[in-house]
Amino acid sequence: MKVLRKKPELCIACHACENTCSKLYFKEENPEKACLRIKETDSHPQITTCTQCGVCIDICPVEAIKRDKNGIVRISNKKKCVGCFMCVGFCPELAMFMHEDYIEPFKCVSCGQCVKVCPTGAIYISEE
Amino acid sequence: MILKEYKYELGKIERGYNNRSLYINIGDYTIKEKEVTQFMKDKFIGGKGFGLWYLWNAVTPETKWNDPENEIVIAHGPIGGITQYPGAGKSLVVTLSPLTHMPMDSNVGGFFGPYLKFSGFDALELQGKAEKDVIIYIDGNKGIVQIMESDIEEKDSHLISEILTERFAKDEEDKLNVSVVSTGSAADHTLVGLLNFSFYDLRRKAVRLKQAGRGGIGTVFRDKKIKALVVRFEGTKGNLNNPADQGKINRTGIKLHKEICDLDDKQNRMRKIGTANIIEVMDQYDLLPTHNYKYGSHKDTYKISSDKFQARVTQGLPDGCWYGCSLSCAKAADDFIPETGPYKGQKVIVDGPEYENAAGLGSNIGVFDRDGVLELNFYCDTYGVDTISYGTLTAFIMECYENGILDKEKTGGLELYFGNKEAALELLHQMARGEGFGKIAGLGIRRMKEIFIKEYGADPDFLNDIGMEQKGLEFSEYLSKESLAQQGGYGLTNKGPQHDEAWLIFMDMVNNQIPTFEDKAEALHYFPMFRTWFGLMGLCKLPWNDIAPEDNKYTDEPAKIPEHVQNYVDIFNGVTGKNIDKHELIRQSERVYNFQRIFNIRMGYGKRIHDRIPYRAMGPVTEEEYLSRQERYDKQLKELVGFDPEGKTTQEKMAALRKYREEQYERLTDAVYKRRGWTMDGVPTIEKLKELGMDLPELIEVVKKHL
Amino acid sequence: MIKVNGQEFPWEEGMTVRRLLELKKYAYPRITVKINGEFVRDEEFNTKVIHDGDEVQCIHLMAGG
Repeated sequence: MKVLRKKPELCIACHACENTCSKLYFKEENPEKACLRIKETDSHPQITTCTQCGVCIDICPVEAIKRDKNGIVRISNKKKCVGCFMCVGFCPELAMFMHEDYIEPFKCVSCGQCVKVCPTGAIYISEE
Repeated sequence: MILKEYKYELGKIERGYNNRSLYINIGDYTIKEKEVTQFMKDKFIGGKGFGLWYLWNAVTPETKWNDPENEIVIAHGPIGGITQYPGAGKSLVVTLSPLTHMPMDSNVGGFFGPYLKFSGFDALELQGKAEKDVIIYIDGNKGIVQIMESDIEEKDSHLISEILTERFAKDEEDKLNVSVVSTGSAADHTLVGLLNFSFYDLRRKAVRLKQAGRGGIGTVFRDKKIKALVVRFEGTKGNLNNPADQGKINRTGIKLHKEICDLDDKQNRMRKIGTANIIEVMDQYDLLPTHNYKYGSHKDTYKISSDKFQARVTQGLPDGCWYGCSLSCAKAADDFIPETGPYKGQKVIVDGPEYENAAGLGSNIGVFDRDGVLELNFYCDTYGVDTISYGTLTAFIMECYENGILDKEKTGGLELYFGNKEAALELLHQMARGEGFGKIAGLGIRRMKEIFIKEYGADPDFLNDIGMEQKGLEFSEYLSKESLAQQGGYGLTNKGPQHDEAWLIFMDMVNNQIPTFEDKAEALHYFPMFRTWFGLMGLCKLPWNDIAPEDNKYTDEPAKIPEHVQNYVDIFNGVTGKNIDKHELIRQSERVYNFQRIFNIRMGYGKRIHDRIPYRAMGPVTEEEYLSRQERYDKQLKELVGFDPEGKTTQEKMAALRKYREEQYERLTDAVYKRRGWTMDGVPTIEKLKELGMDLPELIEVVKKHL
Repeated sequence: MIKVNGQEFPWEEGMTVRRLLELKKYAYPRITVKINGEFVRDEEFNTKVIHDGDEVQCIHLMAGG
C-alpha cells in the first residue's frame, strides 16, 4: 500500500504541495482545499497527512468510506455521503478535511502528485 | 388496497422551513396541504410549538382523547434534519393524552421526522378515525401521499417495522431511506401505549427503534386504527435545509464531533453505554429509585451496573439515531434470546437500555437482573409500552401486593412482590394480550388507585401517598424525595412528572448551588425554558450537557454549559439567517411554554391544585423509609424544623417532617409562579402574555376566566 | 471545622482534596473543586491541602436525564 509519509524537519513551507493538490482536485490553488496541510510554527512546519489508518471507515454511518484493493481509504461513494463530517472530527491525524464550498469532506488518496513538486523531500510516498 | 392518493408538488426547504404542513383525516380521507404562516414561525417556531398550535385548533375543551377530533401531530423544527450537529433528528409528537386528558408532547429520534421534512412538510396532522386499520405512506421523491388498507397481520413493532421497511425499500441499501412509525399489541389494550420511530442500521442489517414514550400517544394511534406511517426519502445531504450559513453549521458540528472524540471516554462514556452510565452513580449517592421510590440504593445494584450492560451491548458501531450524532448513545444488545413470551427462543435486538429502563425495569421493581431488564426492555418496546410508566406502575402494584392490598386472587395468580421478574414479565405479556390483571395494570396508576379504593377497600390516603403519578402521568425514574428543587422539577411541569423540563437533583442536593427559594425558582425558570427549546427545534438534549468542553468546569455557570448554548445560537442563526442571542432563545420557549400552560387550563386542568405531588415524591411515607435514613431525618428535624427528635416516636417525627416538607413545597410553588409571571393559582397573567407578545385573543379568553 | 457546599464538615490535619472527596464519598469523576473561591485543578487533588476554616465547593457536573 502506498502511504504519504513526512519528514517535517525538511519542510520549508513553500506550500507547493498544497497548491498542486488543490489545483488537481478542485481546479484552484488554495491550501484550504488541499488533502494535506502545512502549518507554520515557531520551529519547523507541521505537516498533516493521511496515514490510511481507516478509523474513518467505521465512523461513517452510511458506509461511504471504504478501503480499495490497493489498501487506500477512499470516500468510495460520494453520493451516499450525507455530509455529517463525523469522519472529520474523529480522524486521529486531522487529515479528513471540510471546506464550506463542498458538502462532502475530502482526503488524500496517496496519488503522489504533491511529492513530485516538493523541493526538499519533506514528503514522500512509502510502499508499506 | 389504496383508499386515497394525493399528489403534491415537491418543494424546497428555505432556511429550515418548508412553509407548509400536511393534514390527513383518516375518517373521511381528506388529504391537504396547509400553509405554515409567519405568525406560526414567529410565535411557535416549530416542533412541539407547531404541534400544540395545530392541536389547539383541532379540539375544543370538551374533546376527549378518543374522539375523532383529537389529533396526533408530528413535527420537527427549523434545525431538524441538519446532519452536522449531534442530535438534530428529533421529532416532537403531540396529542391529547389518555392518561392526563391534556396535551402531551413527546420527543423521539429515528429518521421519520427528517424524512418527513425533506419530503416537503414541516408537520403532519393526523385527525379522524379509520374504520379498519390503515397504513399511510409518503413518498418524498415522487410527491405522493397514500392512505392504504393494512394487510399486515403482525401486531408488534419490531416485526411491523421490518416488514414495511422491506416492502417500501427498493433494495437492501435503500432501507436507509425508509422510516416507519408504529406501535405494538399492548397499545390496543392499555393507556400507556408508545410510538416507535424506526431507522435502518446498515451494519447490523436490521431495523432499530426509538420511542416517543410518554403519555399514551401509541394508544391514540391505535384508537384511530392506524397501523403504521411510512415515509421514503432518497437523497439526504447536508444542505437540504438550505441554511443561511452552511460553513458555520459545518464548523460547529465538527467542533462538537472533536469534543466527543476527545472527551466522551473520560466523561460519560455515552458512545460505550449511553445514558445507563449513571446507574451506579445514582446508587452511590442514594438516588437510585428502589422499590417504588422507597429507597435510593440497594446491595444488589452492582448486578445491573453500567459495566454489566456495557459488556452486553455491541461496541464500536455508529449508533446515532440520526446522521451526525457522534454521541451515538442508541446502544443495542444483539442476539438477545428472550426466555418468555411470543418471541421466546428467537434472536432479537434490544434497543437499550437507557438509564430509565435500568432503573424502572430494574431497581424500582427490585429486578436486579441484567438480562431480566433487557427482556422487559425488549417486550415493552415491541409491545409499544412506555417503559417508564410500566416500571413505575408495576412498582406501585408491587408495593400494594406486599401491603396486602392486592393478593394472588386479585392478580389472577401473579405473585407481584418486589423482585419477581417472572411475574413482572407475565404482567407485561398480559398487557399485550389484553388479559387478566394486565388489563387493570395497563390503565395506569391514577385509574388503578380508583379501582383499588372502590373495589378492594384500600386506604385512599396511603394509595395517594405511594402512587407515583401526577396529572395522571407516572413519574420518571429519579428520586426527588430529598431535593425540593427536583420536586418542583417534576411537579411544576406542563405535561406531568417527566424530567425533560428540569433535572436539578445534584445541583440542589449535592452541590447545594440553589439554597434559597428564589435560587430554586430561578433554576425552575431557566432550565425548563432552555430545555423546552430543544422541543421547538427538533433537537436532542443529550449533546447539550452529556458532554462538555474541557474548560467548562472553570466557567461562571458550568451547569448551563455556556459554550454549547452559544453553539445552539450559532446553528439556529446559521440555518435560519436570523440573529437571535441566548436571551431570545429563552423567550422563544417561554411563549410556547405559557401557551401550553393555558392549553392545560383550557382543558380543565393547569392550576395550582394540579401541581401537587404525592408524598412519596417529597418524603418518607412509611416507617421503614424513615428509619432507613433516620440520622439524616432526625438532623433535619432538629436543624431545619426546630423539632427535637429526642424521645419522640417515629410516627411523631414523620408527621413533623411531613408538615415541614409540604409547607416547603407550597413556598417553592409560590416562588416559581412569581418568577414565571403567573398568579398564585398558577395562571399566566395578561401582563406576562403581553411581555412575551403572546396576548393572543384565544389565550386572553381562557385566562381571564381564571384571573 | 470547614464548610463543604455550605454545610459544616469536620476537618482533619493534612486534609487533601482527595481525602475530603473520600470522606464525603464523592465518587463521581466529573467534579470541580474550589477552595475559598479559587479553582483547584484536577491534577492537584492529591496534593492540595485544605486548611481549618476553609470554604470548599465540590460541584458535580451531573447532566442527568
